[in-house]
Amino acid sequence: MRDCCRIKNSSLLLVAAFITLPVFGQGVVGEFVPDAGFDLSGNWNPLIHEDFLERIPGPELVNYSGIPITAGARLWGESWNSSRLTMPEHQCQVHVSPYIYRGPLQMRFWDEKDPQSQKIIAIKNYISTYEQTRTIWMDGRPHPPAWAAHTWMGFSTGKWDGNVFTVYTTHIKQGWLRRDGLPESDQATLIEHFMRHGNNLTHVNIVTDPVYLKEPLVKSEDFVLNVNAGGNWLYPCEEVEEVEGRPRGAVPNYLPGKNPFLTEYANMYHLPLIAALGGPDTMYPEFEKTIKNPPPAPTNPFALAEISPEPQKNMALNPNPTDGEVHVLPVQGNIYMLVGAGGNITVQVGDMGVLIVDTGLAQTADKVIAAIHTLAPGKPLQYIINTHVHADHTGGNEKLRAAGVTITGANVTGDIADASKGAAIIAQQAVLDRMSEPSGTKSAVPADAWPTDTFLGDRKTMFFNEEPVEILHEKAAHTDGDSIVFFRHSDVISTGDIFVTVGYPFIDLARGGSIEGELDALNNLLDLAISKHDEEGGTYIIPGHGRLCDRWELIEYRDMVTIIRDRIRADIKSGMTLDQIKAARPTMDYDARYGADKGFNTTDEFVASVYKSLGGK
Amino acid sequence: MQNLAGRYNMKFESEKITKGTSMKRTLLFLIVAAASVLSTQINVYAHHSFAATYFEDQKQTIDGKLVQFLYRNPHSFVHVEAPDDKGVMQTWAVEWGAGGQLSRDGVTRESLKPGDHVIVTGNPGRNPDDHRIRMQSITRPATADAAEFSWKGVVQ
Repeated sequence: MRDCCRIKNSSLLLVAAFITLPVFGQGVVGEFVPDAGFDLSGNWNPLIHEDFLERIPGPELVNYSGIPITAGARLWGESWNSSRLTMPEHQCQVHVSPYIYRGPLQMRFWDEKDPQSQKIIAIKNYISTYEQTRTIWMDGRPHPPAWAAHTWMGFSTGKWDGNVFTVYTTHIKQGWLRRDGLPESDQATLIEHFMRHGNNLTHVNIVTDPVYLKEPLVKSEDFVLNVNAGGNWLYPCEEVEEVEGRPRGAVPNYLPGKNPFLTEYANMYHLPLIAALGGPDTMYPEFEKTIKNPPPAPTNPFALAEISPEPQKNMALNPNPTDGEVHVLPVQGNIYMLVGAGGNITVQVGDMGVLIVDTGLAQTADKVIAAIHTLAPGKPLQYIINTHVHADHTGGNEKLRAAGVTITGANVTGDIADASKGAAIIAQQAVLDRMSEPSGTKSAVPADAWPTDTFLGDRKTMFFNEEPVEILHEKAAHTDGDSIVFFRHSDVISTGDIFVTVGYPFIDLARGGSIEGELDALNNLLDLAISKHDEEGGTYIIPGHGRLCDRWELIEYRDMVTIIRDRIRADIKSGMTLDQIKAARPTMDYDARYGADKGFNTTDEFVASVYKSLGGK
Repeated sequence: MQNLAGRYNMKFESEKITKGTSMKRTLLFLIVAAASVLSTQINVYAHHSFAATYFEDQKQTIDGKLVQFLYRNPHSFVHVEAPDDKGVMQTWAVEWGAGGQLSRDGVTRESLKPGDHVIVTGNPGRNPDDHRIRMQSITRPATADAAEFSWKGVVQ
């Protein structure tokens, strides 16, 4: 509570002063130049006395005081085992922009100006912690579309409101609200106000997270100008094997109700546990009455009926276009992502022609063909790879194949006999098995949409457009015919529906999917992907549905699926029925981000698929 | 909030956590806060929370053979083969200071070698199966061929 009250008290006046400032995101920014002395340029050091215990030695476990978290965030935090940070993929997790100012070693601001006009393009902010550079655009450019990649620092635009520099940030990766396990979702947005008072700088930070916060979280930090630019400016992070012998894919976590440290912080500061557990009530002075008269303790605190019934509606932004059009997003190297056609489509473009991964829905095929023509005018579509059998990924096969051509005699196409019939369609044999019917029997899918070139094993390779392409079969994951496609030169992986950002994985049991195969595939993807710097960039990941990602999103998704699997497996072992498990809400901490109570692959259906896949009766 | 309260047994004063722990953290605050006023370069910042990772109010000593010294950022590690309290040999991961901190303390990559006999004391990790320790001191006793090496401090 001490921490919470300090945050609250120090910020109240500032909140009152600035909460009415207009939120902006995409408007043109003015040419206002702040008064002399209000320029942020220079080197700044933190004054860390404010919220010191959280910022330097680090917050205690289950100290959520003063943070307006949801019940889902609380369960996420209670399930978080600090051993997770010993995993190599978590050791260099950067603090996201809403949190990183809690502990920067040093930071620097400078202006980026157009050399011709000397108009300001951006204000840059280098933060030595994790060596992060923020670009705060001042030229009026819009924020990226919802299907663009997220970064630790997000995408920022800024403007001067009088002598206050105000910044709006979107596209932030999932990170910390507090680094004792409280999550901030990738749906969070940030408004900041930088206010200079001579050689002091105050930073007010307002986080809105529809997934894990019930109200905006307001924090502030102070900095002092450092005219001596010495000191530490680097913060390299190198992952190592801290704990030996951990099984592949294991994610340390506490099953619900099994965290042994739940009461530790409350006991240390002689607080009722209800105060340590946070939530919006704990931010306000009226909460003092609750502390004085806490509710009675139950005799069985983890009985099912006592688990919070608070609904966790999916609050995530729709990452798909809503204008009915197919949109092109450049990824890197030879690769583009097409969105708006059902499942995402990957397009590789080069001198030899075009290769695509998946074809989307049948009804959007013409728009996909048009998009490909704009990317590669005059170039032949030679190859289509199907990641799996579902119609939102293969529906355009017939039209796309007809729009393409197989050039017999090319270095990789000499074995294809039906050159005149359009592009080759490559897939694992199970895809063809599920699409086709024997001669004389009518198939639901026209024969011209079937794969023309299948493989039976685990791997098929190609070399196209000066790029090695690996097609890797993942057994019994989303379905039994899944393939991931790895563009080794461009360093991009197309995952099909093994990985999506729009919901829980659909384990298609009827078509050979399984939860263990799904997890194995996610871990295989992690093995292939390599980050450029501190789990950002490097290998880009095109999911079956949703926004462009990199390795970090895969890590968090793998962790989530693993933790939910662990919970359901433990529940089955304890003898619980499927209905009892559903009632226990084993996905509650993720439902506001990935859940669905209606439509395709509801949360209940996902839980049931995991239950059945694990052998539940 | 009523529902939250209903989930937990509100029993206070566990055996391990004492008033002394909160006092120590308060004292640490006062020391570093004072330093922050006097200096414009504060280099104490852990990428993770020590309080969340280790039992800061407990100490553990291991005596064994150094198998690896990772001199790195954001924290260095030494791995030590030593028996646990049941006598079973384990590989312990001991978290040490960042390369910068160790450099200021005179510790170099050459200070310790695989095979060295070392005695390490520190805060045990919260997950016993991880066999982790946050370093508070390390000693390599003198041998016929090497002088004693000793470090004691607060991992930053």
